[in-house]
Formats: sequence, C-alpha cells, structure tokens
Amino acid sequence: MNLQDLVRRSAAEAPDRTAVRFAGEELTYGELDAAADALGAVLSSLGAGAGERVLVWAPKGIGAVVASQAVLRTGAVHVPAGSAMPLDHVVRIARDCRPRVVCATARDLERIRGLLDPDTRYLDLDAPVSGSGTTPRVSVPPEDAAYILYTSGSTGRPKGVTISHAAVLAFAEWACRELDAGPEDRFANHAAFTFDLSLLDLYAAFRAGASVTLVPEGYAFAPDRLVDFVHSERVSVWYSVPSALVLMLRDGGLADRPPPPSLRAVLFAGEVLAVEYVRRLAAWSPARLLNLYGPTETNACTFHEVGPADLERDQPVPIGRATAGNRVRALAPDGSPAVAGQIGELVVEGPTVMVGYWGQAPVEGAYATGDLVRTREDGAFDYVGRKDSMAKVRGYRVEPGAVEAALESSPDVEAAAVVVAGEGLAAAMTAFVVLGSGARVGVLGIKRHAARHLPSYMIPDHVRFVGELPLTPNGKTDRLALAVQAGPGRDREETT
Amino acid sequence: MTADATEQEVREHLLLFIRDTFLEGDPHGELTVDSPLVEWGVLTSMNTAVLMNHVHTGMRLDIPVERLDPRAFTDVRSMAAMLCGGGTARE
Repeated sequence: MNLQDLVRRSAAEAPDRTAVRFAGEELTYGELDAAADALGAVLSSLGAGAGERVLVWAPKGIGAVVASQAVLRTGAVHVPAGSAMPLDHVVRIARDCRPRVVCATARDLERIRGLLDPDTRYLDLDAPVSGSGTTPRVSVPPEDAAYILYTSGSTGRPKGVTISHAAVLAFAEWACRELDAGPEDRFANHAAFTFDLSLLDLYAAFRAGASVTLVPEGYAFAPDRLVDFVHSERVSVWYSVPSALVLMLRDGGLADRPPPPSLRAVLFAGEVLAVEYVRRLAAWSPARLLNLYGPTETNACTFHEVGPADLERDQPVPIGRATAGNRVRALAPDGSPAVAGQIGELVVEGPTVMVGYWGQAPVEGAYATGDLVRTREDGAFDYVGRKDSMAKVRGYRVEPGAVEAALESSPDVEAAAVVVAGEGLAAAMTAFVVLGSGARVGVLGIKRHAARHLPSYMIPDHVRFVGELPLTPNGKTDRLALAVQAGPGRDREETT
Repeated sequence: MTADATEQEVREHLLLFIRDTFLEGDPHGELTVDSPLVEWGVLTSMNTAVLMNHVHTGMRLDIPVERLDPRAFTDVRSMAAMLCGGGTARE
C-alpha cells in the first residue's frame, strides 16, 4: 500500500464525506480523489513519476493538499515548501533534490524560473487544470520515499529528511489507533506542510475517513481567531507546537470560554510545553492531553498522555515511551543502556524512522537523536536537553558557531558571539557584536549581512553592540555571562 | 488612524514603529520602505505578531487574516498596500 491510497480508499467508501476544509471551502473525498487524479495526469505529462521529485511551493490551502496527493499518485516524491519561505531557501532545496517539476503560483514561478536546472518543468498552480485526466496507476515499493521534508539544517544548509510511504502509514495507523479516530472526527491542521507535525493531521484523517480543517497561516498572528477556530470548526483533535497553545491560552482567551464539546484530544510536540500551561489546559478541558516527542528524522517516536501525577510535578511532562512499534533507548556515554535515574542519548529504530538524508547514505541501525533524556523508574523518558550546542529557535535548529562565523565575515565586524536564551515562545537568538573602528552600521546592516550568508531563520533576533566580549578566566568567550545579559526573553514576552 | 489614512501615512507610521521596536531606533537610517524585512530577519513570526497587534490596536486597522498572504509582509511598501487595500478601520 502507498500513502496516496488512503484518500482513494476513503473516497471509495464514502465519496460524499468531507475530506478537507479551509477558509469556508471544502472538498469531499470524492472531489479530492478526482482533483488529485486530474492534476496527477498533468504532472505525469510533465515527467513526474517514480524516481523523480516534485517540489510544491504553495500557500497553505486546499490546492496544496490536492497537489500533494497528485504528486504521490504519479509515483514521485513530494517535496513541500512554504509560501513564506524566502526564494533563496527554496532554491537551495531545489538544487539539493533536483525536482523534475516545480509547482507554484504564477508569481512565484516568475521568481524561480531561470534559477534552476534548464530541464526543470514548471506547473502554475493558479491555472485551472484542463480536462479530467486520470493519473496512470503507479505503485512504488512501500519502503521508497514519499516525502522529503527539509529541516533547517543547523549550519544553514538544508537537510532533506527522506520519509518512506511505509513510515507515514505506520505513523498514521498508530495515531488512529491511539486516538481511536473515526469518520466523525475533525482534525485541525495547524502546522505548515513543511513540518512533520502535518503528517499526523492529514494522514490520520485520511486513514480514518475523517475531515481535516486547515488553519489559515494568518491565524499564527491572531490568537483569538485560533480560539474561535477550535469552536467554530468543532475540532475534535488538535495538534500543534506548544507555542500555539501558549498564545491561545495567554493572548486568545482559550480558557475564558467553556471547552467545545467536540474536543477530545490535544496533542503537542516540537518543543517543551511548560507545566504551568499543561495545568491550565487540564483545568479547562477534559480532553486527553498528549505530549509527543521526536525530531523530523524519526517523526514522533515517543509519546506520553498527561495524567494527574504530571500536574503535581514542577517539571515538564515526560516524553514517555515509544510510538508505532519503534524501539527507543537511552544510551549512557559508554554505550550501555541508561538505567533509571541516569541520563543518556536517545536512539531510535523502527518503522517511523527516516530512510536517510536526501543524497546521503541511508540510516543504518538506530538513529541517534542528539537529545539527552533521563530514564524514569517506569522505563519511560524525561527530556533533558541537547548533547551538542545546537539550539532551537521557533522550531528551527540553529548552530550558534555558524551564525558567528557569518557575522565575522563582515568587514564591519571585529568579533561576534551568539547565544540563545529563553525557552519555547520566548526563545530568541541574540548576537553580541564588536564593531571594527570606523564602522557605521546598525541592527539592520548586521541583519542584511547575515541574510546574505544564512537562511532567514538563522538571522539573530536581537543585535547588541558591545565594546568587547566578556571572557572566562581561561580566555574563552563567556557565553554564560552573555546568556544572562541576553535574558530569558522577558522583553519579548512583554511586548506580545 | 482611520480608514481615510493615506498609504503614505500608513507607511510612515509603520516605519516609525519598526525602527523603534525592532531596530533600536535605527540611528543610521538604514530602514527604507523597500527593505526586505522578512528576508533580513526583522519580521520573524514573533515580531510579525507584535506588529500585527500594533496595527490592530494602535492603528485601529482590521487585518484580513483569513486570506492573509504572508508575502504581504515583504516590506513596508507592500504592507501599507495590503492594509490600505484590504483593511478597514474599526469604529
């Protein structure tokens, strides 16, 4: 079975049931099936097929969902890119995965045409699909790639996490079983299609014959609309990064209204949700609360359902135990399994682990996450932190050293040190910059220089000009002192 | 600010807010209406939320969030065009 067969199967069973909703529009399974087939036929005629990639650079919407299913039906690998993604980032992705076809809006096609291989074909997503052609029925081996999700790549070079049909199917099956999902469910899709979180919303819904309602991208800036959405769309399963829940609770008045009766599960993943907010959610709604953990490379490989004991603790809820038949272990520095109370690196093997990075050798054996966890008495895990200096800002991986090197390549900059302070929503990257003598450059000039060398998510949030960098007694940059100066992001908390 | 505000007035207002809030006052006058704010990391998702909040409560303009094109935040010129074209002042 391939991933695209989920929509086909649900369409055959109940063609009139709603599959996707977005901003007042909706498609039934029958309509989604037909639209995907028609677009798939066009893509096939452009050369999309098994062994090829198709890049879909599209705003979130029903069109992007149709495109994803159309690509898979041709046997090609779906490579999603967000419409807000800067052109240079999309070009980097395209140069890495060399798509046969690039699908985008007319305006974006104008911008990217000419920057890619001359034999790349282009499809205008604004243009109506002519005819109602049928995609040749292509099936690829389930272990073949279905998606390439580009992670930020902590040094600025995007890494294509290649995910097989079997991996997404195993994850969707696990999610449906764990959530007891059925056709009556209404999944909310908050995550961008470029994030692995979206795989659960879309494919668990398609597998269950349920509907999925896409959250408009603009709602990211309007917490009250997000709260209205949960009510008006009668969402039954919500899955998002914790920061969206924090925004809804803190600024959107989520807990000021009674919970919608439809809501039966709230899932969160991608970063730590402070226990204070978990308590507020639990006090507000009887819905199940599930903490999912896992880098894009493994999808959510562990989960934990919040129980009364978790609300008593003054630490984040555990990341729990394995999902979907995965095998997760914590390995102590000597390579032995970390026993209860001991910290080790989490390693994962099993059905949801990626094939490998695009263009690189496949993963052999277990995937080492680089995340440190503590083994609990019950065999589950608590998240502790990173093994390396990699930090996460707004879900993007950032290696501070790579940002420093880029800043120091400016003729105006004598030295730079970059720290990430704060957690979750308040996490921010601050660059402390020592300017060379005579340099006349401000915050914008530093950001402009950074943008020439780094993708936008690696541009420091704050730039502070200092006379010199503080040093430790042994002469290294005192990052601890800088982190204290940068603060825990209080200024950002207060301005939002 | 009301619905009658001209695009030029909205631009000036946005420039002022961005300078003060995100650019430490921009003492060297580096910001222009065409500075690519998303590309240069000035309008991160968090800063965009701060700016939107200001537009909504400080400038009293409604923003069409349902159909919001994230690319409207490319620079001050396109933001002002979006707000004057799609935004309506509240009573």
